[in-house]
Amino acid sequence: MTRALGLVSTITLAVALAGAAAQAQTIKIGVNEPLTGAFAASGTYVVNGAKIAADEINAKGGILGKKIELVIEDNKSNPTEAAAVAEKLITSDKVPVLMGAWGSSLTLAVMPKLMEYETPMVVETSSSGKITTTGNPFIFRISPPSAIEAAAFKGIVDKLALKKVDFLVINNDWGRGTAEDFSKMMKEKGIAVGLVETMDQGAQDMSAQLSKIKGSDSETVIVTTAVDQLTLIFKQAAALGLKKRIITTGGSQNPDQIIAQAGAAANGTMHLTTFLPWFPEKTPNPEATNYFVSEWKKRGFDFAGCTESFRGYDGIRTVAAAIEKAGKAEPAAIKAAFWDIKVKGLNGDIVFRKSGPEGKESGQSQPNVYLIEINDGKIEMKTL
Amino acid sequence: MRAISTIVAVAALASFPLWLRDPYLLNALITTGIFIIGAMSLNLLLGFTGQLSLGHIAFFGIGAYVSALTSLGFDVGLPGDFRLVHAPWPPIAGFVLAVVVAGLCGYFVGLLSFRVRGAYFVIVTISFAEVVRLVALNWVELTQGPLALTNIPSIALPLPGFGEFTLRTKMHNYYLVLVVALIAYLLIARLVHSHFGRAMRGLMENETLAISVGIDVTRTLTIAAVISAAIAGAAGSLYAHYIRIIDPEVFAFINTVTMVIMVISGGKGSLAGPVVGGLIFGLLPVALRPVMAPEAQWIAYGGVLIAILFLLPRGIVPSLTQRLGRRLGRTSARAPVALTETAAKEPA
Amino acid sequence: MSEFLQHLVNMLVLGGTYALLGIGLTLIFGIMNVVNFTHGVLYTFGAYVMFMVVQQLGLNFFLALPVAVLAGWLLGAAIELTLLRPLRGSDIDTTMLVMIGAWIAMQSGTLWIWGGVAKAVATPFPEAPLVLGPVSVSWLRLFVLIAAALLILVTYLLINRTSLGRAMRATFQDHDTASLMGVNVDMIYTSTFAIGSSLAAAAGALLGPVYVIFPQMGDLAAVKAFAIVILGGLGNITGAVIGGFILALAEELGAGYVSSGYRDAMGFLIIIAVLIFRPTGLFARAERVG
Repeated sequence: MTRALGLVSTITLAVALAGAAAQAQTIKIGVNEPLTGAFAASGTYVVNGAKIAADEINAKGGILGKKIELVIEDNKSNPTEAAAVAEKLITSDKVPVLMGAWGSSLTLAVMPKLMEYETPMVVETSSSGKITTTGNPFIFRISPPSAIEAAAFKGIVDKLALKKVDFLVINNDWGRGTAEDFSKMMKEKGIAVGLVETMDQGAQDMSAQLSKIKGSDSETVIVTTAVDQLTLIFKQAAALGLKKRIITTGGSQNPDQIIAQAGAAANGTMHLTTFLPWFPEKTPNPEATNYFVSEWKKRGFDFAGCTESFRGYDGIRTVAAAIEKAGKAEPAAIKAAFWDIKVKGLNGDIVFRKSGPEGKESGQSQPNVYLIEINDGKIEMKTL
Repeated sequence: MRAISTIVAVAALASFPLWLRDPYLLNALITTGIFIIGAMSLNLLLGFTGQLSLGHIAFFGIGAYVSALTSLGFDVGLPGDFRLVHAPWPPIAGFVLAVVVAGLCGYFVGLLSFRVRGAYFVIVTISFAEVVRLVALNWVELTQGPLALTNIPSIALPLPGFGEFTLRTKMHNYYLVLVVALIAYLLIARLVHSHFGRAMRGLMENETLAISVGIDVTRTLTIAAVISAAIAGAAGSLYAHYIRIIDPEVFAFINTVTMVIMVISGGKGSLAGPVVGGLIFGLLPVALRPVMAPEAQWIAYGGVLIAILFLLPRGIVPSLTQRLGRRLGRTSARAPVALTETAAKEPA
Repeated sequence: MSEFLQHLVNMLVLGGTYALLGIGLTLIFGIMNVVNFTHGVLYTFGAYVMFMVVQQLGLNFFLALPVAVLAGWLLGAAIELTLLRPLRGSDIDTTMLVMIGAWIAMQSGTLWIWGGVAKAVATPFPEAPLVLGPVSVSWLRLFVLIAAALLILVTYLLINRTSLGRAMRATFQDHDTASLMGVNVDMIYTSTFAIGSSLAAAAGALLGPVYVIFPQMGDLAAVKAFAIVILGGLGNITGAVIGGFILALAEELGAGYVSSGYRDAMGFLIIIAVLIFRPTGLFARAERVG
């Protein structure tokens, strides 16, 4: 009896110790993304991209001799949940660094928690200017805010010979921010800005706004919204006989999905994107692009999602690089290390520059921006 | 008996931050507590006057925005080339203003909505909340629209002679929410047990009869709406200063649904109902998170709701009190409403 | 002027489907006094059935439509039998909350089964629109208008020319008396809910190919349905039809001439305005409650 008891307790102890030891063997990275709710599709893409990065890193031996473990939590596309999830990841799961939270209002809700617990986070998709300008030194963003996108577009604008543009943007900070930043840039270049129409986040019928634009005297329309609404806009524009040049911005276009769902209505449209999965040789890191795209396809995911999921991939690789540079999985060291890393991202070098008020700057990286065109159901690089 | 169980419950709730060290759970309790305050205020309309208001989040959100804007300051242009500029005030002033403004909104909505009943009332309240959301979304100059109001300061209590005490930690915020919740609970309890409360219940039981004995229906409903809205505004203010970022998504219908679930599952018309329902449904997502896939969590949430409604149709608290009462050999705890008594006390 | 004409045409096409949504809900709301939060889910369901049948099973588009309507009918009957009948006699809030629970569960179920990425349904119509002077309208949308009109006509005939319809109207007027006169009220309720749900599914099946299909698409549709019910008066089919067109007109003109950001607010503003000035709706014959 006592021998059995002794044996049981020894085994239990051994298992517990092994468990604890195994725990200590992984480096945890928190992932705070919307897996349900309005942004479920995008959040799921980003998480799947992140998993590819984690598996790749672990296959090569992990970082600092340990495997990385993604602790993935659903923020339900809701700011209150995003903050609660950040709290859980930092205090319960004890992650030293996070990636998230997809949408700008979700990221903004998480930011006070980062300050409270002094934990850094890589922002992979959010585009609100506020994220890097309100003085939060724990934010490191790899996606471009619309100001940077506008600056990148400046170079292309002359070659397109724009005279007067209308805007049709989604009614949130991303759309409105784009309208503001792009308008400013255009006016500086002497291009007139006409109508600025908005559409609600859930709206499916933009015929009224498109009818208005059809009647205006501009020759170009700049559209900022995500793939679902873009599909609808192109179909409805075609149905209305709208013949203007359409340029979309923002990086959430997923052009393959647009081609599949809008068909001929998408022909002739141009898109400002931040990634070129169709032309790996034109990306700054062709080897990595090829690996990512083939791995994505191998896992059976929808190819159209590459244009969003690559951010999850780059985000995790950035985090990993910072941890490696820091030499230990501790928030303060990782935060300091972010400033010293340079990662060959899928859409440009990831190097963080200071952004925001002095003394508490956030990090902002400057990715490349490309112009593509859809012709005959195919994607082409726009040569100007 | 009731008083003792209430005191025990309050003491238990008050003890949490002292031994519950997990900040994640404390955070969940705080946000749940804030929504419970909102649910209690909804219960006043739903449970005690029988009006199914599905736009309650409007008052919560208005309270949040008023409080945030008061403490952040703003600068807007009004028609006629006026500019309305406001310098930041202490958050506590924001709290007070939130209660006042929300209450006022309750007054106006009450005036409009109580011309109709039943299904129509439900829909007008939903519409009101949506219109408020769209105003918050589109009046960007004032509310920042989708760009969100950020860096909202935490509440600081002015202590004469000691300066200010800023409620920064979770423990501080937890006790603040608990205190406000208690005050709201006591206020509602007093109201319900007064003869105004009897008027409310009289009109809920049988409106035509209530009118015939002299109860001023519109006045009763409007007062109930004002108090209900004011308390919801208080909850909104607490929310704004705790989460510290407000955007128009706070008006999303799902937040009203959360409060409605808390009230009805807990037992509308019972004082403790929203608290019990609130604790269960506020913490259910926390419990489901580690055990299920995200979509499955929502399916389970809906399933639990349906199950409770089937098994305990009057709500958790009334059903359990009834069973407990039967076990202990007591009759139903609820005294019958005596309308003639009320009429005798109401001025003609 | 041409812009105005275009808005009018848009309004006609949209109004038909709004009318379908509204009729379904006004029947359920009017006859059963249930605040049916699953109406939007049925709309979404109809659209996903179209997707499954046309894209995944490869069936003909025109054959897929009746399949979607039938599927909506079946799902509606199932909901009524499992969730509403056992609760017959409970208050309006209890049934409402059960409908909310079902809505949450079913919408998440949709997300689970099909994922969040939007789906499209291929249609047999030409992409190029029909151009009549300054006005353009796509062939698909014309088809939708005609199909919706047919369904509205069929429903109208069902309600006003058949014995089932007569029984439904009797139950609407006075549930107890109808029961005393031999109407099987239980069966009427199930039929009403099933019919209303099938109409919502039909609206989804028709509009799904026009727009794109995703799990939350029904939420906005449901709210608009409520607006139409208010406009037309509870239980009033003609009112719902006219209400559908009025809502579509208000949305088009509001978005076109006032502010596009407030387009989807039009429905709500209408509700509030109607309830301030004419609480029983523009056309209701029934008395105001209370």
